[in-house]
Amino acid sequence: MDKQMILQVYDTMLTIRKFEEKALHLFEENKLRGSVHLSIGQEAVAATVGAYLRKDDYITSTHRGHGHAIAKGARPDKAMAELMGKETGYCGGRGGSMHIADVESGNLGANAIVGGGIPHANGAALSAQLRGTDQVAVSFFGDGAANEGIFHEVLNIASIWNLPAIFICENNQYGMTTAVDSVTSVKDIAVRAAAYDMPGEVVDGNDVFAVEKAIKKAIKRARAGEGPTLIEAKTYRWKGHWTGDPEVYRTREEVEEWKQKCPIKRLEEHMQEKKILSEKQITEKHQEIDTLIDEAEEFALKSPEPDPATVLDNVYDEGEN
Amino acid sequence: MATKVIMPKQGLQMTEGTIISWLAAEGDTVKEGDPIFEMETDKLTIEIGAPAAGTLLKIVRGEGDVVPITETIAFIGEAGEDITDLLAELESSSESDETGETEPAEAIAESGAGGPSGPVAESSAPAATTEQAAGGSRATSDGPFYSSPRARWKAEERGLDVQALAGSGPEGMVIERDVLAAAENRPKATPLARIHAAESGTDLSSVEGTGPRGKIYRRDVDAAAAGTAAAGGAEGGRMFAAIPREDRSIPLTGMRRTISARMRESLDTAAQAVHRIEVDMSETVRMRERLKAAEVKVSYNDIILKAVAESLRTHPRMNSVLTEDAIIEHGRINIGVAVALDEGLIVPVLRDADLLTLQGIHSETRRLAELARTGGLSQEDYQGGTFSVSNLGMYDLDSFTAIINRPESGILAVGAIKEKPAAVDGELVIRPLCGLSLTYDHRIIDGAPAADFLRSIKTLLENPYLLL
Amino acid sequence: MSKKKYSAAIKDVIAEEMRADSSVFVMGEDIGALGGVFGCTRGLQQEFGKERVRDTPIAEAGYVGTGIGAALTGMRPILDFMYLDFVYVAMDQLLNQAAKLRYMYGGRASLPLVIRGQQGIGRGNAGTHSQSVEAFFTHIPGFKVAMPSTASDAAGLLRTAIRDNNPVMFIEHKALYATSEEVPDDPEFAIPFGQAAVRRQGKDVTIIATSLMVGRALEAAEKLAAEGIEAEVIDPRTLLPLDLDTLLHSIEKTGRAVVVHEAHKNNGVGAEIASQIMESGFKYLDAPVVRLGAKPCTLPFSLVLENAVVPGVEDIHTAAKQVCYK
Repeated sequence: MDKQMILQVYDTMLTIRKFEEKALHLFEENKLRGSVHLSIGQEAVAATVGAYLRKDDYITSTHRGHGHAIAKGARPDKAMAELMGKETGYCGGRGGSMHIADVESGNLGANAIVGGGIPHANGAALSAQLRGTDQVAVSFFGDGAANEGIFHEVLNIASIWNLPAIFICENNQYGMTTAVDSVTSVKDIAVRAAAYDMPGEVVDGNDVFAVEKAIKKAIKRARAGEGPTLIEAKTYRWKGHWTGDPEVYRTREEVEEWKQKCPIKRLEEHMQEKKILSEKQITEKHQEIDTLIDEAEEFALKSPEPDPATVLDNVYDEGEN
Repeated sequence: MATKVIMPKQGLQMTEGTIISWLAAEGDTVKEGDPIFEMETDKLTIEIGAPAAGTLLKIVRGEGDVVPITETIAFIGEAGEDITDLLAELESSSESDETGETEPAEAIAESGAGGPSGPVAESSAPAATTEQAAGGSRATSDGPFYSSPRARWKAEERGLDVQALAGSGPEGMVIERDVLAAAENRPKATPLARIHAAESGTDLSSVEGTGPRGKIYRRDVDAAAAGTAAAGGAEGGRMFAAIPREDRSIPLTGMRRTISARMRESLDTAAQAVHRIEVDMSETVRMRERLKAAEVKVSYNDIILKAVAESLRTHPRMNSVLTEDAIIEHGRINIGVAVALDEGLIVPVLRDADLLTLQGIHSETRRLAELARTGGLSQEDYQGGTFSVSNLGMYDLDSFTAIINRPESGILAVGAIKEKPAAVDGELVIRPLCGLSLTYDHRIIDGAPAADFLRSIKTLLENPYLLL
Repeated sequence: MSKKKYSAAIKDVIAEEMRADSSVFVMGEDIGALGGVFGCTRGLQQEFGKERVRDTPIAEAGYVGTGIGAALTGMRPILDFMYLDFVYVAMDQLLNQAAKLRYMYGGRASLPLVIRGQQGIGRGNAGTHSQSVEAFFTHIPGFKVAMPSTASDAAGLLRTAIRDNNPVMFIEHKALYATSEEVPDDPEFAIPFGQAAVRRQGKDVTIIATSLMVGRALEAAEKLAAEGIEAEVIDPRTLLPLDLDTLLHSIEKTGRAVVVHEAHKNNGVGAEIASQIMESGFKYLDAPVVRLGAKPCTLPFSLVLENAVVPGVEDIHTAAKQVCYK
């Protein structure tokens, strides 16, 4: 990964981290409604994949999708506004945390139904194939989704039709409060790729370079029309499944253990080592992102609520074809 | 305090009347009883007297207006008296019928319950009868009134009061077809006018109405009918051409309809059986002659009525009525005396007949018969009978069977007094004989006591001195 | 105009639209080589190739979801359902995704998606292959629902569906595929949504019927006419949007209505239509609106039983007389 790319990935990871921390903070202050599903600790996968995708490539994401959205170019202020249900959010306040989407920039949406978005990426890949472009579509999903029927149907379809789809399973060891091993027939989900006649790879999801290697390969394969890939990124979420999760299903020791493998800290160490950034520059970077996120918070807080008179808008598209 | 002049209830069935004309004007001084307005219902035209003496302060309903009974139509009081409060009260509480429509009243006539009270009138409780006046099938239940939204819409379009219509829908609901039927294109006329038109076979559309907005009154119908008759007569010269050959349709309205229903109902309800007896009227004839000589005019019927009254006193079961769980023997003896009219039959009541003298019976029956023939009978006159007598002797009948006048328990049919051969002490003689037929309700009284009653009448008539 | 069967009318419109617009493609089970169990896509794969006329695995959720992804990214997929009973296998993708994505994304996405297939009784296919599913798609906001009862209507409505930028549930009927009539040849012939068709005029009672029931309503109308009752038969054609104006206009005239559909009576679209009529046309009504629909049991296999469950001509005839108080 060249320096430029490293800095971009780092910048993205930090933005995701601080955005999530701010979201947690706002939730605890009761300024956010519903609940949010934080991806703190999992930033490397989203940031690295996002860095290697083109603007016209597609992604679909999950209920834990803030990171993917930001990695695909979402602005923190509009994202934060959407979390607060404001008119200025990406979805005008209609979708909330679990449905942030920006179709124009290729983000086909986070999805609150586990596995619900996997086929959409598949369809985007089909669309690219029919139109004869070399766009690719990435579907982010978790270890829990790998046991949904839809996962299997979609991988099968992607394989038989040779679609330019990349299926990225972020295995963060738990499906909500259930340990992955207790509900999954295989230790490594990537093994299932063989069932669908596509390459499957396990990577350390907290190592940007490992992720980079895998995603570059998959993108190249897809753009060349050679078909789909399944990547399993082992990672961990530091916070509970949802804000307020008492986390009775795991030990504090386990959490601490994974915190040691923090992808951001690892990259910071790497950058310092390779003299890409100094400690001082890193601190400044933190401050810069802090400011960015603070501004996003202010923007969201000051934004207007949606007008109830518009509640029936956009059920249908009645524009000219 | 001023006195209200109201639209008076003139008959059991009456719910509203039409003011034909005011006979006094605002400002006129009137004595109590002076006729101050003329009104028409489905049964009669009548002049109404002032309820109090004083000045006719204000007339609030005008000629041609259809007014529900008991509503105020004028005020009588002291000249110059302030009645603004009374007028204000009237404004807020009355449901005025400004349209002057008679269609609701037409519905009354059409349903047939509004006919002149014949033998059937007293049979039902007043409340139920008023219900009947308002609409056919509603009469069967005193319950809530239903109408479909469409019926209400159509009624409103046509200026009809849906509440006044008969409903043919489920549970008596008034539905569209009922409204459309009621609003058929017909000329505006008072109910009495319609009855007269129907009975004389006059086409209402050919009658010119002298009422407001061309409304047709009875007198207009009568005039038209007379004119037609005259016109018909003028053509009498041509022999066969003048003889009507078409079928004549007489609509079943008013009194005829009422009698028709009541007769059927009577036979359906009561267990009617008949006893016949022949009375030797010799002594009665003799007595009558003696009285005539003494310038006391009584008819045979009067004497028969007296005999019946006496017999009812000794045979109270013949003077009773059957309720759901009891037979009630009336305390009073009110004998209905059937009177034949052009339109049909009416039975004014001889009140407390047992307390009247022969002369009393005579004068009272004559008064009632006269009133009946001129349409002047009021509610009290044909209400409250306990037994009836029908005399068709003038038609030379030997005897006949009458139908019980519900809810009474018996009716006596009197035939002609005819000279006939009779056996007396083994000898053949000629006697004036009269055939009496007693129709009695076997539910209330059995054959033997009924026979005893009839024999009692015979005994009194054959020994009239016992009536003293 | 050409006389053609309902199934052929469908096929012709798909072909015409695919020729005119390269973003239109078809996916479904056994629609390519076979041309569909009822022939609705016969010959299409030969003309347009396997790319644009695709046989999918038996994976309804999978291919509906894939269709959604394609519709979000510039394509106009037509998703074929061999039996609309199978929509239940794909309900998450249909009702949680297709119906909702545009709204949840604040209007910043469109899904020009057609889900088409057949439903209903008529071939002894028993409980899970004879149902009527329209009520689910009129209930959850986001879909439009069309139910053509004739070949010509199928053609006109399908064209509108394909050109619509929204998810359309296009409901055909297995027993109507073989019916034929004159269909306009014009490749632009389209029937707008929200426009009911008065199949028969009358002044005494309005009978609102969908799909297979339209024919039965017309038969019932003949029987009624012989008894002096003139029925007006109206086919809504699209249940969502619903042409309430035409229905009310008719009921203003007649004052009485019967709504009949093949789906179960309880909580069916007839309940919605009757309620809308009651709410907006209360004063026109001389009698309550009567609904007819299948009895509340799973559709039985036996033909005798099936006929006892689904409304027949006699049921419609009786109901119409009932609201006329005759």
